[in-house]
Amino acid sequence: MVAEPALTVDFAIILLSATLVGFIAKRTGQPTIIAYILAGVILGPAVLGVVQVSELTELLSELGLAFLLFLLGIKMRLDEVQHVLKPIVKISIPQMIAVFLAGAGISLALGFSSLEAFLIGLAVMYSSTAVVIKMLTDKDEATSLHGKIDVGVLLIQDIVVVIILAVLAAGRPDDLAEVATTLAVVLVLVALITVAAVLASRTVLPIVFRRIADNKEVFFLVAISWAFLFVFVSDNVNLFLAPLGIEAYLSIEMGAFMAGLAIAQLPYSKELQDRVNPLTDLFVMVFFVSVALDLEAAQLLAHWQEAIVAALVLMPVKFFVFFYLIDWQGFDHETTFLGSINMIQVSEFGIIVAAVAFEGGFIEAEVLGFMTLLAIFTMGVSVYFIEFNHALFERFEPTIDRWTGDAEFEGGKRGYRDHAVVIGYDEVTKNALPLLADRYEDVVVVDRTVSHIEALEAEGYDAIYGDFRNSTIRKDAAIKKADFVLSSSVQTEVNKALLREVSENATVFVEAERVDHARDLYANGAHCVIMAPHLAADRLADYLRAYLEGDDDVIEGAIDGDVELLEKPDPFPNAHDRLGGELRD
Amino acid sequence: MNSVTDLLSAVAIIFLVTGPFLLAANRLELPTVPFFVLAGIVAGRFIEPALLLELAYYGIALLVFTFGAQINLSGIRTVIADGELAGLGQILIVGSLGVGFSVALGVPPTEAIYLGIAVALSSTIVGTALLQRTINADPVRGRLVRSIQFVQDLIAILAILLLGAGTLEAGYVGPALAAGAALLLAAVFVNRYLFDLIGRLAGGSDELMILGVVALLTVFVGAAEFAGISIVVGAFAAGLAVRYDPVNYLGLFNGLQSIRDFFVAIFFVTIGALVVFPFVGAEWGESVEILLLVAGLVVLTAIVKPAVTTAILIARGYEARSATLASLNTDQVSEFALIIAIQALTLEALSPAIFDAIILAAAITMVTSSLTHQYGERIYRTLADRGVITGRHDRIDEWSDVPDDIVDHVVIVGYGRQGRSLVETCEAIDHPYVVIENDPNRRDIVTSECDAVVIGDAMERYTWEKANVGDAKLVVSTVNSLPVSRRILSLDTDAEITLRAADRATALELLDEGALYVGHPDLLAGQQLAQQIRELFDGDLTREELRENQRAELERRADHVPLHLR
Repeated sequence: MVAEPALTVDFAIILLSATLVGFIAKRTGQPTIIAYILAGVILGPAVLGVVQVSELTELLSELGLAFLLFLLGIKMRLDEVQHVLKPIVKISIPQMIAVFLAGAGISLALGFSSLEAFLIGLAVMYSSTAVVIKMLTDKDEATSLHGKIDVGVLLIQDIVVVIILAVLAAGRPDDLAEVATTLAVVLVLVALITVAAVLASRTVLPIVFRRIADNKEVFFLVAISWAFLFVFVSDNVNLFLAPLGIEAYLSIEMGAFMAGLAIAQLPYSKELQDRVNPLTDLFVMVFFVSVALDLEAAQLLAHWQEAIVAALVLMPVKFFVFFYLIDWQGFDHETTFLGSINMIQVSEFGIIVAAVAFEGGFIEAEVLGFMTLLAIFTMGVSVYFIEFNHALFERFEPTIDRWTGDAEFEGGKRGYRDHAVVIGYDEVTKNALPLLADRYEDVVVVDRTVSHIEALEAEGYDAIYGDFRNSTIRKDAAIKKADFVLSSSVQTEVNKALLREVSENATVFVEAERVDHARDLYANGAHCVIMAPHLAADRLADYLRAYLEGDDDVIEGAIDGDVELLEKPDPFPNAHDRLGGELRD
Repeated sequence: MNSVTDLLSAVAIIFLVTGPFLLAANRLELPTVPFFVLAGIVAGRFIEPALLLELAYYGIALLVFTFGAQINLSGIRTVIADGELAGLGQILIVGSLGVGFSVALGVPPTEAIYLGIAVALSSTIVGTALLQRTINADPVRGRLVRSIQFVQDLIAILAILLLGAGTLEAGYVGPALAAGAALLLAAVFVNRYLFDLIGRLAGGSDELMILGVVALLTVFVGAAEFAGISIVVGAFAAGLAVRYDPVNYLGLFNGLQSIRDFFVAIFFVTIGALVVFPFVGAEWGESVEILLLVAGLVVLTAIVKPAVTTAILIARGYEARSATLASLNTDQVSEFALIIAIQALTLEALSPAIFDAIILAAAITMVTSSLTHQYGERIYRTLADRGVITGRHDRIDEWSDVPDDIVDHVVIVGYGRQGRSLVETCEAIDHPYVVIENDPNRRDIVTSECDAVVIGDAMERYTWEKANVGDAKLVVSTVNSLPVSRRILSLDTDAEITLRAADRATALELLDEGALYVGHPDLLAGQQLAQQIRELFDGDLTREELRENQRAELERRADHVPLHLR
């Protein structure tokens, strides 16, 4: 019943080659996606043929897409997305129709049969969720305005893919009525799962996550468990509905996204992003490598000229269709340009649609090869366009100005600058908050305890729930642009990492427990290192001396003062006035 | 049973089932590991565990890997040098008892070894999770437990290496040891010379850095497989190859944690899924046998092991209380024992029934362990009051040095920063004092620097007798522990008492209960912080001036701090 304790070589080879090609890509300034796809092409039957898709790699690449969408869901706060919902629907539907027509047209022109052309048209309508979202996340643009538009459009495309896959998987439909039924069932399912996610985010989730948020491991794994609940239901929706005589499919990506969306509405979502991110990176890598692992060279290259021609036609078509539609919805030039240039590739779903059509006997293996090549080629090219989208915009801005209409759409997010950041809310740092609030427009407090966050928000401070060690949290607090930073961490490595990241003009206060740590921190640029145990030791020694020398008045006064301070529920605002009254004076 | 064959569904089910169990663990404030195993026992009814074995092996690899990665190579020598080797004696005694017991029950000797290992080793994951709640309050115990566990973990790795073939054949052991040593050498080499290269190649990208390190892990695991030894040894070596440098590689260590948590959960759940629960899936006769074995393992682990450890620690001069409480932290089966068991099961060196017994005993003792941790103080008190554990006063007498006629003195509890500066004050104005300190590691310093000392536990009556607290003028506690503070307040003395508290609520409570003064370091630090920020904002000081003042102040203070605290 039990297998040998050996790990498959395939996954190890994938990991190693992806790492090596990744290193080379990094050195030469290429995006990592390209490295992964390239590693897949080299390892696959097209070149070396050393690796086959195993059950494990298939699982990891499925999880990669699911986690990518889960991560994306976690980032989507409904109140931030709501205002772009309507334009997104108005953009995506005509876009798909237009690109479908273009795709089918070019296929006919290239000599494919009309059924093949029809299916190719269906397969090229979508842009790549994996590429666009990965690139947006890497560039930290997923929640920018153009990011939101792209993500929204991708999700609507996702729903359409699910519907088309459901229809194709059912084999050749008998009549239009059957198509309509499938369509209705999928739409109802998507609606149901959305309602379930939204309801949960309003009722159960806040209670559950508030309880576990202070336990890092449990918090992370329960969130993963939540994601898998949706993945499992989506994956097996057919089994659940079979007794009712309904046949329907949902993509696990859709489920994962909804699971993430439900969590995103909670205050703890930021912390979770950083925990899910590394897993996602690892799994998505497997996904991109395995894209090209399946195909023989002969099948892949049978229609290579056609694929290149189609790619060269489709990419500009997609760009202009998007450009026209986004502009039509009244977004500004930059959003319009960036939102369009990001979406010019053919999706991995195109390959999946083609693969299902191949299995259903609608098309030949060579057409599947054509679709795969088209997808890989356009993905590869588009990655560069996304990478350099801002530079391209600046280059072409004058031309774009002439083509676009007036910007009517308002949106976007204000970032922190020249603000104060306080890491950890405790008995020490709380004394500084009112002073900082007087001086700075924004005071951001990072803390990992739920009750602290609630107290801080009630006081009107900007509070971020999360561990300062996580890069998203640091980015969110805009630590690089802060003018004043106060850290209550006594861990030297955290403080040193902090000192490395802040700007030269920032004033930095940190805490330390040991003298050599404090020295180290001063050497690294700290302006003041607070050492609570040492202060306490000095003070206690003073008191002891007064006590032993019989200075009763002094000791009583001082002790009463300290006790009074202790009793004060709120240590500000007068506490600092007393500071002159130490024993020594 | 309708097992799921699809891997994705299997993984989904694992996490689906685990979620509620984790919520329960969190609610009950119990360690997570036994709950993973329980979740596995439930999930095992829906999934085929063989399907998950490969993922579970990644869990094992990552578990051992992160253990290795947290070891600081340059610091390892000092850890072993002043580490507590009491662990070794305990392993030998309890391990032999475990083997003897199993053989007596009719388990073949080759399999009895595994049972011996299971009872002898304790869990670092569970122990550390429990300790985190008390670590600040009780540094002596924390250090003791950590060093015992560290020694045990190293022994576990060695055991895994030696048992890699399922038997202790001479033809296997020699080459295996050589291969293990070669891997460790390679790891040291990578750590010294190649690791920063990976860092440079990744060019600051966390994604590539994590990928590179996971690839490094697979290379070492692959090398171990190639050499025919356990992948666990490879994973451990890979961990050592990673430079423990959380400053430069902050993102790496955070990222690895997520990946590890994910796969380790799968590992523990798979372990649970492999268990055939007695009476449910197995026959009556066999079930009774397994239960007997489980009961024996639990008794050995949860009662005999801490008893033996306590005895050894007391013999080595530790205070009865610290020794007992530290030993109570080791009263569970180690996760390494689970790894060894699953490895033996796959090599068919261990029968499924005995495997089940080990896993069940592990799950049970991990839960009981958190209970004994919670009630440790009470357990110790009960045992001490009945005379089961006797502190050895002769040690206190031998080490302590208090003039018989001392009166009107100050009793200073704890010789840390505060204790040291209090002693200096007393000496400066020539007032008699007695220091109470219970950390054997500080004994030499305390006895050489102070006139009058008691090396003993502040929770013990004899310690206070020795310090002649009845005639003291003042007791100053610098120890940040509520039980100690309460104990001092309950002393039969006219001396006034000042204490230390970790938070404001406790401080106020202790004042109510009769303390003259309660120090709360954060309060002072908060004041100082506010003052300095104010001076800065008002323009009284520039940043550079502040910095120079602070540095000078630090150096002034540094001269007053005892060496072991710098």
